[in-house]
Amino acid sequence: MQIRPARQRWWHPLSPVWLVPLVALVAALGVAWQSYAGRGELITISFQNASGIEAGQTPLKFRDVTIGVVEQVNFGAGLSEVLVNVRVSKDVAPYIDAGAEFWVVRPEVSVRGVTGLDTVLSGAFIAGRWDSDSSGARSRFTGLEMPPMLGGPDQTGMVVALKLRDGNQISAGAPILYRGIEVGAVGAPRLDEDGESVLIDAFIEAPYTERLTSASRFWDASGFDVSIGASGVELDVKSLASLIEGGISFDTVVSGGNPVNPGDSFEVYPDEQAARDSVFTRSSDAILPVSVVFDGSVSGLTVGAEVRFRGLRVGQVTDLGAYVEGEGADRRVRLRANLELQIGKLGLGDDAGPEEAMDLLGTFVQTNGLRARLTTASILTGGLLVDLVELPDAAPATILMDAEPYPELPTAEAALSDFSATSQGVFERINALPVEELMQAAIDALDSFRAIAADPATRRVPEAAVSLLDDTRALVTSDDVAAIPAEVRAIAASAREILDKIEEGQAVENLIAAIGRADRALTSFETASTDFPAITAEVRSIAEKVDGLAMEELLASADRLLNSADALIGTEEARELPASFNAALEEVTVFLAQVRAGGAIERANSAISAAEAAANSINEAAQSLPDLSERMSGLVVNADGVIAGYGERSRFNTELMSVLRDIQAAADAVTALARTIERNPNSLILGR
Amino acid sequence: MTAPATPTARSAGLIACTRCGRVFGPDTELCSRCGAPLASRDPRALQRVWAWWLAGLVVYIPANIYPMLITRTLTYSGEGTILGGVIELFGHGDFFVALVVFTASILIPVGKFMAIAFLALSIRDHRFMDEHAQHRLHAVVEFIGRWSMIDVFVVAILASLVRFDAVATINPGIAAVSFALSVAFTMLSAQSFDPRQIWDE
Repeated sequence: MQIRPARQRWWHPLSPVWLVPLVALVAALGVAWQSYAGRGELITISFQNASGIEAGQTPLKFRDVTIGVVEQVNFGAGLSEVLVNVRVSKDVAPYIDAGAEFWVVRPEVSVRGVTGLDTVLSGAFIAGRWDSDSSGARSRFTGLEMPPMLGGPDQTGMVVALKLRDGNQISAGAPILYRGIEVGAVGAPRLDEDGESVLIDAFIEAPYTERLTSASRFWDASGFDVSIGASGVELDVKSLASLIEGGISFDTVVSGGNPVNPGDSFEVYPDEQAARDSVFTRSSDAILPVSVVFDGSVSGLTVGAEVRFRGLRVGQVTDLGAYVEGEGADRRVRLRANLELQIGKLGLGDDAGPEEAMDLLGTFVQTNGLRARLTTASILTGGLLVDLVELPDAAPATILMDAEPYPELPTAEAALSDFSATSQGVFERINALPVEELMQAAIDALDSFRAIAADPATRRVPEAAVSLLDDTRALVTSDDVAAIPAEVRAIAASAREILDKIEEGQAVENLIAAIGRADRALTSFETASTDFPAITAEVRSIAEKVDGLAMEELLASADRLLNSADALIGTEEARELPASFNAALEEVTVFLAQVRAGGAIERANSAISAAEAAANSINEAAQSLPDLSERMSGLVVNADGVIAGYGERSRFNTELMSVLRDIQAAADAVTALARTIERNPNSLILGR
Repeated sequence: MTAPATPTARSAGLIACTRCGRVFGPDTELCSRCGAPLASRDPRALQRVWAWWLAGLVVYIPANIYPMLITRTLTYSGEGTILGGVIELFGHGDFFVALVVFTASILIPVGKFMAIAFLALSIRDHRFMDEHAQHRLHAVVEFIGRWSMIDVFVVAILASLVRFDAVATINPGIAAVSFALSVAFTMLSAQSFDPRQIWDE
């Protein structure tokens, strides 16, 4: 049996251990290939300062996730910049396009807080920011030296430019506040081209950009304001956060603003009040410097005190000083205040410059009597302000255009309302009263009285009075007078009817309508009053005509009349007149005695008291009805006519006795009426 | 060159067990004492030497390129390669430690590769080294190979001891595994070597 040796395979001489290096080689090559293929893109970022960046160490982070590591740090051409090569992972690299921004995050400790605290331990890192569109990846970038505070492509919002007078209260990263809510942040302040103001880019986050319109106003909300001004002490404390951080607030103070475009510029006002005031003035703060020279003391006037025009603040005092004027004996010290007026507040147009403003002031000074005047701003503090008042009666003056250092406004006497000035004013007014003239006029009046009393004609007056009394008595005793109560009663009845009719007939409404018409008439009269000057002129011409009349002749004829009267008094008949008066008086006395004996007076008294009661009642009625009083007045006129008619009767004296009897009867009737009224007072009104 | 007439097991037609030293007849396949396979000469021993040697060399490359230790502390995050660690230690003035690490991690493995390669190449050629010296070299290589593992042990001990989550953490890198494999492969390579062949005529 032939034993065939086992067939030798070609690999038979090879040891299976060869598989080990083979596997190891394959594995190593695989690892090498994988790490080469997945090592990402290399980008180069140039920085001015690469402090804290270490090759192989410093990560590149996007949204706080490490996406790459610095591979190499070297210098660019001419050692002018540091080139940092960063290996970025493959899946992110396509998004790093032209809009990408890189900056180094280092620990930063400032008054606003500690940022990048994690970098204290881990070291600085490079932060990157880019949008989510991949539009042409680049490999060469320029890094930012400062971390960008404002929103980048991945934040929605709007960047506007803010203009400040100075930037010492605001630092990069300070918050933008809208009603106390943080809605954005500001970037680093920078000077504008002409170096006159500070510009800050402010980023406002997306939903709050709708709050921003062209009517919005920004103001500095940093810290707190303490202002000790003419109007007292004001303390305005904001939140503690803005006290430390600083900040800028904005609000839309009036409605109707237009939408804002990114990059628009806004003025930042020093405080909220100024921001709100600014709505009514233009934003420009062009200044018109003028000076004012005061004669008296300016104690209480301080630098920064207000300058007001018709109650509005239009400027402030910038400078106070004294200077010597005149020569020799006329030398005197005058006090000068320099004012700066804000042209925008004078109500001129948007593009008005100092020349226009000066023209306006010059016109006001000449035509309206514009003067600068010291006025008390606060009685408590005694502070003063400069008031630009219009005094049309002031003596003519002009602005001294060539005065140094600024054009000089004319002044008016200070209107100080402190206590001493007020009491002094009172005394001055008392002093100015015409006491002497008053006394002289009183003395003259007394002299005239004395002359009248000493006049013989005056002495004759009592006698004439007695005769007048006689006539009156005769009148009172007449039948018709006795009939008066009945007539009064009838009048009361008719008055009651009138009252009823008034109640029925909406007289009050008519009255209101009448008042309305009167009101309109008054209004038209008011409009017509513009014609007054013409009327006045006519009146004046009439007066002149009157003046031209022959007053002298009138006086002369009066004089002649007096002389003839004198002559009449001097005649015999006149002399005998007293004797006949005497006889008449004796007759009156007899009559009076008879009257007294007949008890007529008592009855008359009771009748009078009853009539008084009736009169009171009538008075009540009359108060509620002016119309009635007018009728009464008409009645009185009629009665007057009647009385006059009776006075002329010739048989008056001869029928005295029968009249007395009639009086007695009438008095009885009046007494009865009076008693009836006493028992039932409303019968007078009601007519029963 | 020395005593070529010295009788050997092979020349006597016998097979010696390499493990326990007992001598058997020519056709015996297993040692009846210790059970080890018996072969007068293994024709593929040299192949195994070369295979392990190559595998060791392949994994030795990443062991030097990739980081051995990944150290993370609060302020520092670093990866250290073997050579970088040596240079760092040397820079810090720790010459002794640097020397130990350098010897254990670089000098010995590299010397071992060279020694094994030399032995395998000059197994029949005694121009540069006689049989006794070659034998001694083989013994040294076999003995010293395991000491290269101290580097791996250091890494293993550090990685397990220094583990204070946020404050400090040390993790073994790829190089540690590679290095351990490399040491193991070279040890196998040295073991695969049949020193009896040195003496074969």
